Amino acid sequence: MKRERVGLAVLALCLGALPAVVSTAYTITLLNIVGLYAIVTLGLILLGCSGQVSLGQAAFYGLGAYASALMSKDLGWSPWVTVPLAVLIVSGTSYLIGLPTLRLAEHFFALATLGVGIIVNVLMVQLVPITGGASGLRDIPALRVPGVRLPADLQFYYLIWISVAATLVLARNMTSHRTGRALRAILGSEVGAAALGIEVSRYRMQVFVLSAAYAALAGALYAHYIRFISPSPFSLYAALFFLIMAVVGGLTNIWGGLLGAGAVTILDQIVRAEVPRLFPRVGGEYQTAIYGIILVLIMIFFPSGVVRGVLDMRRTVSQPAPEGATPTVGAAR
Amino acid sequence: MIDLLPQLVLTGLTIGSIYALVALGFVLIYNVTGILNFAQGEFPMIGALVCATFLAWHASLPFAVLAAVTAAAVLGAVMERLAVEPVFGSHPLTLIIVTFGVSMAFRGLALMLWGADPYSLPEFTPGGPFVLLGGVLTRQAVWAIGLSVVVTVGLFLFLARTIPGAAVRACADNPLASRLVGISPRRMSLFAFTLSAALGGVGGIVIAPITGATYDMGLALGLKGFVAAVIGGLANAPAAVVGGYLVGLIEALTTGYLTPGYSDAITFLVLLFVLFLQREGLLHGAQRRQA
Repeated sequence: MKRERVGLAVLALCLGALPAVVSTAYTITLLNIVGLYAIVTLGLILLGCSGQVSLGQAAFYGLGAYASALMSKDLGWSPWVTVPLAVLIVSGTSYLIGLPTLRLAEHFFALATLGVGIIVNVLMVQLVPITGGASGLRDIPALRVPGVRLPADLQFYYLIWISVAATLVLARNMTSHRTGRALRAILGSEVGAAALGIEVSRYRMQVFVLSAAYAALAGALYAHYIRFISPSPFSLYAALFFLIMAVVGGLTNIWGGLLGAGAVTILDQIVRAEVPRLFPRVGGEYQTAIYGIILVLIMIFFPSGVVRGVLDMRRTVSQPAPEGATPTVGAAR
Repeated sequence: MIDLLPQLVLTGLTIGSIYALVALGFVLIYNVTGILNFAQGEFPMIGALVCATFLAWHASLPFAVLAAVTAAAVLGAVMERLAVEPVFGSHPLTLIIVTFGVSMAFRGLALMLWGADPYSLPEFTPGGPFVLLGGVLTRQAVWAIGLSVVVTVGLFLFLARTIPGAAVRACADNPLASRLVGISPRRMSLFAFTLSAALGGVGGIVIAPITGATYDMGLALGLKGFVAAVIGGLANAPAAVVGGYLVGLIEALTTGYLTPGYSDAITFLVLLFVLFLQREGLLHGAQRRQA
C-alpha cells in the first residue's frame, strides 16, 4: 500500500530528526524504552494475528536480556555477537516450548505461557551463581557503534529505532502476504483454515518463534542499554504491561504495537507520578489496578484496539451494528 | 529424611484442600460458561482480607466469616455482570484478557485498600496441635481439610439432588437445549461466578490463619487451583478435588526435599507436563460435553 509507505517514510524522518529538536536525556530515554516495548508488543501482536495470546512474553524478553548479558560479561564476547546469538538461542528455546504448547487451545496456551513465564522468573531469582539472583547482574558491557562519537543514549536511540523499523517491516511483509492470509484464516476459523489446506500448526509455530525472537531482541538491547538487569522487569507484571500495549494498539493490528507502546508508556509515566499523591500509603505495583481496569474496558468497548475502535465508532454512530453481530478480536483485515 | 514424610504429607493435604476449593470454582465456571477464569485466585484473597478486617473491628468470628464469604460472592457476581457478561460469546482471546485484567484489577485495588503488609487471622479454635502418624496437624489444618470436604460434598449434593443444581448441570451439558426448557445460560453464568467466588472465599478464610493474608496471595492460589483443575481434567469436579490435594502434596514434598524457592517452578512443570499429555480436542470438546 502506497499510503502506508508514505506514512512509514514520514515517521522515519520524524524519528530520525527528533534528537536534533528535543535532546533532553529524559525524552531520549523514554523514546528508547518505547522502542524496546514496541518491538516486544509487535511480537505479541503477530501472535494475536494467529489467534493466540501469550502471557509469557516477558520471559522471552528476560531470557534475551540474560543470555546476551551473560555471554558478553562472562565469556567476554562483543555485544555485537551476543545480541544476535541471544536472539537465536531464545528462538530455539521458544521452538522447543512451542512444540508441545502450541497444540493447546487458546485458554490453555495462555496458561501454559503464564506457567513458562513464572518458571523462567523463578529460575532467574533462584540460580544465584549464574544470574546473580534477585540482586541481578551489574556492569554489563555496553553496546557501542565503533567510530561513532554520539553519546550512548543517542547511539541507542538510533539502534533501537532502526530495530523497530526492521521488525515492523518484517512483520508487515509477513502479514500482508501469504502468511498473513493464512493467519487471518486461522483467526477466523481454525478448522476452516485446516480444511483449506493451511498448515495451522506450522504457521502458529513460525509466528510464535518470531514473537519470541522479537522479545529476545528487545531484551538483549535492553541489557546492553541499561547495563544492569534483575528479575523484576521480566515478571508477570511486565507481561501484563506488554499485553495492554498490544490490546491498546489492537491485537491484530501491526501498526498498533508502536501506538500501544507509546500510549501506555506515557500513561505509565503519568500514573507513576499521580497515583502516589492519591494513595500515599501504597507502594509497589498499585498501577496494576488501573491497568487491569483499562484492559477490561478496552476489551469490552474496543476489542479491535482503541484507534480502530474510535474510527469504527465514528463510522457506525448513525447506523448501530445489528444485534448479535459476531464479535471478534480485532477486525481481521 | 524418612521421618519428614508424614509431616510433609499433612502439610500438603492442608494446603491442597484450599487448592481443591479454588479448582472447584474453576471447574464450575468453565463447564457452565466455557471460560477459564484467571481471576479465580483473587476470591480467596478477598475473603481472607475482608475477614481480617471484620475481626479487626471486633466482629465475632462467625459473623466475620459470613460477611467475608458474602463479600467474595458479591464480588464474583459484580465481576460477571460488569466484565464477563458484556463480552459473553466473544473470541476466547478476549475472554482470557478480560479475566486476566480483572485479576490484576482486584490485586491492585486490594493493595490500595489493605496495603502490602500481611494480615494474620486467629485460628478458628485455638489449642494444641494433634499428632498423627508422626506428623503434627494444627487445629486450623483440621478445619481446612474438614471444611473443604464438607463444602465439596455440599456442592455435589446441590448439583446432584436439587433443581437449581440440575439447571447448572443442564447448562454445562448443552446451553442451547437448556435455553429451550427455560434455563437462561446467562443467569447460570452469574450463578456460577457467584458460587465459585464464594467457594474461593471460604478457602481463603480457612487458610489465612496458617499462611497469612496478603493482597498478592491470589496469583499463586489461582494458578495452583488451575493446575489442580487441569490435572483433574477440568470437566470433572471430584477429579479436580483430588487434583487439588495432589498439587498440595507435590508442593509440600518439593519444598521439603528440594530448595523451597523451586516449588512454584516444579508445580508449573507438572502443569505443563499434564497439559502436554492431553490432546487439545480432548480438553476442549469431548470432556466438556461429558461434564
